[in-house]
Formats: sequence, structure tokens, C-alpha cells
Amino acid sequence: MNLFETSALCKHFGGVMALKDVDVRMQAGETLGMIGPNGSGKTTFVNIVSGQFRADSGSLCFNGHDTRGQQPHQLAVLGLTRTYQAVRVFAGLRVRDNVDSARLLLAGRGLDAGQLRELSLWLRLDRLQDKEAGSLTLFEQRRLELLMRLTQRPKLMMLDEPVGGLAVTEVREMIELLQQLKARCSIFVIEHTMRVIRELADRVVVLMAGEKIADGPPAEILRDQRVIEHYLGTAHA
Amino acid sequence: MNSRTLGIALALLALALPFVLEGNRFLAFVFGMLMINVLWASGMNLLYGYVGLMPLMFAGIAGIAAYAMVHLTRALGWSFWLALPVAAVGAALVGVLLGLPSLRLKGFYFTLCSLVIQTVLTLAFIFFPQFTNGDTGLNQIAPPDGFGGKPLAGLWFDLVLASAAVAGVALCAWLVPTRLGRRFIAIREDDVLAATLGIDVVRNKIIAFFIVSLYAAVGGCLYAPYVGFISPRAFDVLTSLNIWLFVAFGGRGTIFGPILGAVILAPIPFLLQELQAFKDVLSGVLIIVVTLALPGGIVGELLRRRARKRADGQALPAAPSASTPAARP
Repeated sequence: MNLFETSALCKHFGGVMALKDVDVRMQAGETLGMIGPNGSGKTTFVNIVSGQFRADSGSLCFNGHDTRGQQPHQLAVLGLTRTYQAVRVFAGLRVRDNVDSARLLLAGRGLDAGQLRELSLWLRLDRLQDKEAGSLTLFEQRRLELLMRLTQRPKLMMLDEPVGGLAVTEVREMIELLQQLKARCSIFVIEHTMRVIRELADRVVVLMAGEKIADGPPAEILRDQRVIEHYLGTAHA
Repeated sequence: MNSRTLGIALALLALALPFVLEGNRFLAFVFGMLMINVLWASGMNLLYGYVGLMPLMFAGIAGIAAYAMVHLTRALGWSFWLALPVAAVGAALVGVLLGLPSLRLKGFYFTLCSLVIQTVLTLAFIFFPQFTNGDTGLNQIAPPDGFGGKPLAGLWFDLVLASAAVAGVALCAWLVPTRLGRRFIAIREDDVLAATLGIDVVRNKIIAFFIVSLYAAVGGCLYAPYVGFISPRAFDVLTSLNIWLFVAFGGRGTIFGPILGAVILAPIPFLLQELQAFKDVLSGVLIIVVTLALPGGIVGELLRRRARKRADGQALPAAPSASTPAARP
């Protein structure tokens, strides 16, 4: 069964067509990547699927539910969560309180203390529990974002440029963390960094000016003449 | 627990002071007004300090409740103790309705919208004289019934006000650590992120509006018979701003901050009665001082310093890692 599915998804902002008839299917357990130049509609796509924006037309389905018009908080209950391109944590609260805010969703049905400790150890946040989230480094905040999402036992996590702004060594570590994350939930990832897509994604969707121009395994996509012309540039090929 | 002990001590003090001040009617009245202001400040703090919205229509809602209460007791002959909950819940529902258009707004835009609502309410108090007697106001408002049919007055009225203030602060202190309170804080910190994490922002804001309007309304219902006179002026935007100032000065988002702010600032107009002009200048200066020098208020600043001291204390004995010294220049 498809974990999520969009068909003929359209969205315009004023005169600009941000998304035009976009069909995307994603299987449970699959890691789906999305690439495209700036302004090609990648973040708009995530905003619509996660309920932040409403699509103008087209259908939207997550885990068997028709999710058109659903709000982000309703989708969170269904198990769809996302991160943001610009890191977003409760900067004024301690790490511990950030995690507690995320745990409000499942309350008693959520993770027990042991599972939570295991997650914090894995994301190396166990020693930072009493720090203010705003005082953490970007990489630590990115990890905190993952921890907050994981306490909600999501089925699908949509990551919007998860390595954006990270140093080279941190990118390496983040890719490893995301590899391990695959065992916990399905991942949809937007990235500019081809390395991330190549190493993580099972399949890649390419957007150009709001339209899907290619869809397939990374190796195939990276050889696609249209993708090379429009996005990668001949120098990369 | 430290803050719990402080809270109980303050509650006992509030309930004991009416007995101490019984001989001095003027000071007892200043104290009674302080208690109403503590109740109001706690309510304002719940929305401003914990949900992050600054409601300038706060006094207007108190006014609706006060006028409704007077109308119910005078025109319909209800007992105060029946009129109080009816007027309070009614005004709180009106508060929710008035809050609806501003649910999609936050920060400065919400404040601006609430200012417009407050202005309209003040005008409504003036332009419906059949209910409010217009600018002249309503006077000789009868005190509530006390024990044994005697009107509530003096010591007993002060005790009622002190109990209301204690109950208001206690409700706030109880609410903040609950799941509801933590949702409020998440919305204050980042409402988009809160929604992503599964918090229904609109619904929780409506709940907050209701609770906060209830604080405003109960305060309004107690204010009217205590002072014995209400007019549109008693419930105008300056009153809202004053209550806001108690919260901001003492420390928004803390339980004791608004109390401290009210204790320091609320008695000033009564103690400086001969210096009317000076009083307004003083509150203007205080607003500037608070925003520039004490953005977190007095209690907020104290907590910040304590947290910093604790963080420094923890960092020293810990093993020197590569990142710790660099993080603290």
C-alpha cells in the first residue's frame, strides 16, 4: 500500500504556478528523495502534504486517509511529521521541555523512559537536557528536531534539507544518523546536496518550476539528460 | 518545595492582612483594590505570559461583566452571588467571541486588534446609556449579601477579595504545569512548530481566551460593588495597560511576577492622590524602563541570573570538552 500519494496536485501563489499536476507516490519503508533548483516547489510540496498550505486542486492521501484540508496537528495524530529548512525548536525552552512538548501528543501511549533515554543517547542529546535549545549548535538543534519527532512515533518524516548549514564533518554524521533513522520510520527528504540523495534515497523525484520531470532510482536520475541539463549542469555529469 | 512554601506564605499573608488593616479603612481599601489587581494580573499573565498574546481588551471584558452584574441585581433583583457566576461566564463567552477574529493573529497584530476591540467596547459603554448610564456611570452599587442577610462590608468584603486573589493565583500555578499549560507555552514559543507537533493552536487559544476572560470578569464583578461606582473610564484601555504593566514589570510567564508587579505599582495611584499628573508620567516612565532594562520583568531577570549562575556552576566541575570553552566567550 502507498504510504502517501498525491495526484494532479496544483498550487499557485498569485500568478506563479508553484506546483502543476504533481503526482508522487511513496511506499511505506521506502526513502524518497526530492531534488530541484531553488523555487521549483519542493518546500511548497512539503507544506501541502503536511497541511501547512491547502492545495488548489488535486488529491492527497496519507496512509489510507484522504487528507485534503486537514490541519498539521491532525496529520501529526495520523503519524505524519516534518522538519523545517530553517531549524525550528522552542529556542527559549530547555532541551528537556522541548521533548516534553513533543510528547504531549501521545501522552500515556508514547515512549517510556527507557526508550526515550535510548533515543537521546543515539542522538547524543543526553548530556544537553538542561540546556536552552536556543544555545545549542545548529547540528545539535537538528538532532533535537529529530528527537522531538521520534517521540511521536511517526510513520512518515518529511525532512526539508536536513544537512543545510552543517559543516562537512557534520554532514557525514547526519547522513549516518539518517541511515539509521530509516529503521524507525519512512523518510521523505528534500536536498540540494547530491551526496545525501545518492546515499539515502531509494528513489528520487525531480521538480522543475513546479512540474515533475523525472522519477526513478538515483543512479538512473543522475544520468537523465533532462536532469543534467536543467539541474546538475554539464560540469557535474 | 521552595516556591510552594512562598506561595502558601503569601496566601496566608493575604488572608491575614484584612484583620491587621481593619482599623484603617483607607489602607484596607488600598489592600482590597490590590487584591482585585492581583487577580486581574494573574489572568493577564496567563494569556500574555504563557500563551504570548497581549490582550488590550481585558478591561473591556471586566466592564461587560460589571455592567451585566449590576443590571442583573438591580433590574432583575438577583442576588449578587447568583449574578456573579452568570455575568462572569457570560462575559467570558463574549470575550471568546471577541477573540475569534484575532485567532489568526499573533504578536503585534493581535495586540493592535485587541486595542480596536477595547476601543469599541469603551464606546459601547458610553453609547448604550440605558444599560450603563453613559459617561456619568452607575453609582451606589449595592454591596453583596453577607452572612445572615447583612450586606457584605469592611473586613468580610476584604476577605472575599483576598480569597479571590489567592484562588486566582493558585489556579494559575496549578494550570501551568498541566498538559494544557504546556500546550500554551509551546504556542507562545512557536505556534507553527506547536501545530506540527500535534497541538491544536486555535482550540487551545479559545480555551485560553475563556479562562482569561473569566479572570477579567470575576474581577469586574467584585470591583463594582467594592468601589460602589463604575463608569466607562474604569474599564478603558488605560486600565488594560495598567494591568499589563503589573505583569510586565513583575515578570511575565512567572507565577510570582504579576503579584510583585501589582504589589509595587497598584497602590501608587492611591498613595499619590495629590500628584495626579505625576502618576501618569510615572507609569509612562515605568513602561519605558521595563521594555528597555527589564524585558523579562523583575522576577524574570532574577530567574535568568540564577539559571546563568547554575549553568556556570555546572560547567566548571565537568570534564573540559572541546566545545564548552568555545561556546562561552
